[in-house]
Amino acid sequence: VERQTAIERINELLDDGELETSNTSMRIPTALRDAAALAVKELGIASSATALTTTALRVTLEAIVMQAALDDHYERHPQARPDLGDLAIAAAELDDHPLAGQPGRLRQAAVEIAANHPDASPDDVLLWAEARALPAA
Amino acid sequence: MTHLVVLDCEAVQALRDPGHPKHRRVVSQAQVVANRKRRAVAIQMVVPTAVRVEAGWDRTSPAWVFPNRLRIADSPLDTASANTAAGIRERTGVSVSDSHMGTVIQSAPHGQITVVTSDPGDMRLVAGDKNITVDTI
Repeated sequence: VERQTAIERINELLDDGELETSNTSMRIPTALRDAAALAVKELGIASSATALTTTALRVTLEAIVMQAALDDHYERHPQARPDLGDLAIAAAELDDHPLAGQPGRLRQAAVEIAANHPDASPDDVLLWAEARALPAA
Repeated sequence: MTHLVVLDCEAVQALRDPGHPKHRRVVSQAQVVANRKRRAVAIQMVVPTAVRVEAGWDRTSPAWVFPNRLRIADSPLDTASANTAAGIRERTGVSVSDSHMGTVIQSAPHGQITVVTSDPGDMRLVAGDKNITVDTI
């Protein structure tokens, strides 16, 4: 229950449009601080190092809380947990990949790649399936 | 440029209900989005508010707690988008929620748009000239 409450609360905080800011003392590696300052000044990637840090923190928290919600769901509904083949198909469909219409081929590629690379990603599966689909030279 | 993943009525209903035959499939899409967010890919799932109405998605209802936690953003029907939606509905004769889907698609900045839908024909109709990826569930 505590984990679920934390997920809810993090989501509430991320959605809070309040513009109030806090001065936070945070020790970060000096080299990282200097790299951020340089990126802001010379590459123009954000209006300030603070803005860059804030955006990066938000993106990270959003990803973490989304995965936490999914993990919590998988714990309570194990049958909902997608396998590597499901994820490869979903990735292909989201991107209109040329193999999106061939779920059987993608599932086979997932089985093959998982045999040697248990931590393979859906994108790894797509790459492997695409390579397998190429005619032999 | 952010990759927009727009959910239709059946997609959100499938997401809510672990017993829905397409639940695992839509969860797979959400998992791929979460994986990409973790890699700091700019990707966002959105739901037009008219779709929420049709699907019965009340964000205050405990029945919708899982979709609520996945940080699926509302795309509201404001004055300008209501005008666009009315035009789409007048021209195509699709439902109010599909007209709102069309508005979200047409008003999205240039970038990748994927529509997760059980009705690919209507989605291509309401998309107009916009290039979209249709992920048929």
